Amino acid sequence: MSQAELAVATGHGTVMEASPYGFDKKKLGMWVFIISDACTFGAFLFAYGYMRIGAPVWGTPFGWSSIANGMLMTAVLISSSLTMLAAVRATQVGQRSSASKWLGTTMLLGVVFAALHLREWFKLIGEGWRLFHNPTGGAAQFGATFFSVTGMHLTHVVTGVIALAFIARGYNQGRYDETHVETAGLYWHFVDLVWMFVFPLMYLMNAR
Amino acid sequence: MSSNRELTMSSYVGVGIGLMAIVIVEVFLTFQHLPARTLLSCLLCLASLEAFIAVMYLMHVKYEKPILFWTVFPATMFVLVFLCYVFPDAFRMFSMRLMK
Repeated sequence: MSQAELAVATGHGTVMEASPYGFDKKKLGMWVFIISDACTFGAFLFAYGYMRIGAPVWGTPFGWSSIANGMLMTAVLISSSLTMLAAVRATQVGQRSSASKWLGTTMLLGVVFAALHLREWFKLIGEGWRLFHNPTGGAAQFGATFFSVTGMHLTHVVTGVIALAFIARGYNQGRYDETHVETAGLYWHFVDLVWMFVFPLMYLMNAR
Repeated sequence: MSSNRELTMSSYVGVGIGLMAIVIVEVFLTFQHLPARTLLSCLLCLASLEAFIAVMYLMHVKYEKPILFWTVFPATMFVLVFLCYVFPDAFRMFSMRLMK
């Protein structure tokens, strides 16, 4: 007799069968969100590829300084994934102060990433690149695709920093437990994963 | 629930260094001035490798039950691969421009 049948037979309807995934529903919900978000980013990047193939001349505005800035951004994001892992580890062994310290470091690295990102944007805007304007006379779609894809990613980073702030506060106050931190960590690693495609496709493929 | 076979923090730092090394290879290839198609193929392969490492180790899929991988991976790949159906139309647009 299964747990569910036993529950019905004995009148204890609240007994549930264990999840086949072996983890709680928050984490499963985050995985469903990640699948849908991966498809959204995939569609953005495919749209970029479509426009790029269809355009006879494409803008290649990134010199070595921009690529170096992109590498630094990547290093910052990978480091933030490691500090997030440290925070999850600390919550699993109940080290509340250590978890707060690592969550704070992750948020700080997220802010540094956003600042480096905006620096690159302002540099491009200063050179005359806009959403629908190419200062070199090539395809105007470069600005539209670059600013929309990187803007979408930047929005995810900023949202992640805000979410981590709420989770850290709730964890410190005892309202949230280690599963909340682990679920937030899953989102943060996904943002890192997306950047692994955005950097080569949007920066390296458009290097001078 | 993750198993107890997870990596230590120092091993995760090694994973991070490995990911950064792949990025350095990507940048190196970019400045070799390869043909665009070759460069794109190399960059996509390396980015996919990075993503696989991130999903398996940073997102802990390697330490979860296999059902998670088989739920997430085929469905996402199915959608992303089917998006490729639009590309022949992009080549058609390009050819039409050249014919003008």
